[in-house]
Amino acid sequence: MNLSLPKLPLALAAAATVIALTAAHAQAATPSWCGPKKTQLALLDGFGGNSWREITRASAAEEAAKCPSVTSFDYSNAQGNTAKAISDIKSMAARGVKALVVFGDSGPAILPALTSVYHAGDVVVPYRVNVGGKAGVNYTQFVGSSFENDGKNWGDWIKKNFPNGAKMLFLSGPAGNSQGEEELAGLKSVLGSNYTFLNPAPYDVTNWDPALTQQVLTSEISKHPDINVIISDFGPSLVGALPVFQKFHRSIPAIVTSDGNSLGCFWEQHHKSNPDFKLFTVATGNDNVRLAVQWAVAEATGGKVPDTNMFRAPVFENSVTGKPNPVECRSDLPGNIYLSAQMSANAQAKAINQ
Amino acid sequence: MVCATAVLFVVCFVFAPSSVATGALAGSLPFAAILAIVGLGQMLVVQQGGFDLSVAGGVSLAVVIATHLPAGHDSALLPAVVAAFVCTALAGACNGLMVGFLRLNAIVATIGTNALLYGAIFAISGGVPEATTNLLAAIATDSVFGLENTVWFALLILLLVLFVVKKTVIGRRFELIGANPLAARAMGLKVRRHQAMAYVFAQLLYCVAGILLAGITAQPTAYQGDSLLLPSVAVVVLAGTSLLGGRGYPVSTVIAALFLNQLSQFALAVGVPYSAQTIIQALALGFGIAVYSLRWPARPLQINKSKDPEERDELVAS
Repeated sequence: MNLSLPKLPLALAAAATVIALTAAHAQAATPSWCGPKKTQLALLDGFGGNSWREITRASAAEEAAKCPSVTSFDYSNAQGNTAKAISDIKSMAARGVKALVVFGDSGPAILPALTSVYHAGDVVVPYRVNVGGKAGVNYTQFVGSSFENDGKNWGDWIKKNFPNGAKMLFLSGPAGNSQGEEELAGLKSVLGSNYTFLNPAPYDVTNWDPALTQQVLTSEISKHPDINVIISDFGPSLVGALPVFQKFHRSIPAIVTSDGNSLGCFWEQHHKSNPDFKLFTVATGNDNVRLAVQWAVAEATGGKVPDTNMFRAPVFENSVTGKPNPVECRSDLPGNIYLSAQMSANAQAKAINQ
Repeated sequence: MVCATAVLFVVCFVFAPSSVATGALAGSLPFAAILAIVGLGQMLVVQQGGFDLSVAGGVSLAVVIATHLPAGHDSALLPAVVAAFVCTALAGACNGLMVGFLRLNAIVATIGTNALLYGAIFAISGGVPEATTNLLAAIATDSVFGLENTVWFALLILLLVLFVVKKTVIGRRFELIGANPLAARAMGLKVRRHQAMAYVFAQLLYCVAGILLAGITAQPTAYQGDSLLLPSVAVVVLAGTSLLGGRGYPVSTVIAALFLNQLSQFALAVGVPYSAQTIIQALALGFGIAVYSLRWPARPLQINKSKDPEERDELVAS
């Protein structure tokens, strides 16, 4: 390119403006939780064997990438093995990673490892599963998820759509899991005595396994001719089980649960032939990890810590009012992505290698 | 086993009628069918005095291959099914080689193979579930004469196993080798080859079960076979097949699968807490196994009562 003399100052001025604007944009895009100090970040998963975890991992990486002070993002998967979870925590710290976000699937068993790494000067943020201990003593901060809030949201919807009471079935994961207990507390705080649970207390055990869910649901449908609402804390595991209603020549009842693309598409295909099939979902909570990453990065880089340490899953779909969203289905993408997550649907599909 | 199952159904009819309603049976029978197929595979191995702990890996691998390779496209289902059979047959051959020819302990060898299979499952799926293709769902769940195809598959496999084991030369040799390998060797039969083949055919049956399981579960997990390991052994023992090897009871194995399935449906239908459900199942299982396994002390008592040592020796000899 051959620039003549009068044009040169103009070109230089334009280039300077572009650089200044880009720098200003970059500064504005840097979130407040991202401080100036450089750090390495790691996400330590207790169990990584499902699409939810894969998308959560990708969400954590996406969130960390917003902060230029984070120089690397590592991941480890304990594969449900407590001993490996403990060794992952210690080895990640030994490798010089300064900020650890830990999904403590093993519960309090990993607390001693977290405490020793925290006392060695690292930033430790366990999230979603309670590991015991105290913030500032055993770890930097615990970032929880309000499952009780989910229960309340579900209860409010049920109350609105079944004002005269309802017969409900509540399905959760393994026996004794605290998530189900908290959700039940949330439900009971909203619903009165004319709302009855048909399942054995506190919930039907499904292990979040689609095959077991199918067997449990078959038994419950057969036993109870009048189920108004099914409440489940893992919506996609219902998809295989709901066709059981056809075998009994009954309409699928209202479903109150967490979102999933396969569930949304199932509703689209079947709601016309099942007059009672209404759907209400809360976000499945992949973005819980973003709050945990923000806390860890803020503490490690000297940024501003978030206002809260409790993630509240927002309401996502409501087939009755269409607010905040109507039921969503992306039939061109895999069933096991979560359209409620901040991460784009296409990026999620890529994250689960499909 | 037939009597126990009949009694169970009568108990269900009286105390938990919902568990024997048409819809409930239609919903739960496919799972009994899956367990029956897996149980028949385990029976072949137990007949040779072995144990196959790679059930979970075999079933899960078939599930993962049948769902991940087609990735929702019906046209890719057939190659995926072929691939599943090839992979599980290789796993069975691996077990057979280690147990039949290298004489390794069956429990140790099959645990090792199971770990290898889980490695393959992770490599294919990354542990992430994939939705079933529509074609596979239709093959597994469409009904003929009111029964889902999965149930018909189980009955077909039962007939096949029954015919091969009880009516063919190779089947009769197979049972003889299981009952007394030393005598079979003395007769010139190829003991090791038969023992090894038991593991291959067992894995092929696990593969069928896995593919059908992928069909009846819309979005199966990558570890769908895990929950089948203990029931697979339980149905074989309940059916009366000796853990030391020998005669197998295919029909009883299938009925035992029906029994176990109905038992869990009964426990669910009664509506007791989860802890009580597992206790009911354990008690019924323990009772069932005790009926077959306990050696009632009738003859030893007669011997003890006999005062004359010569008479006692005669009794022992008889």
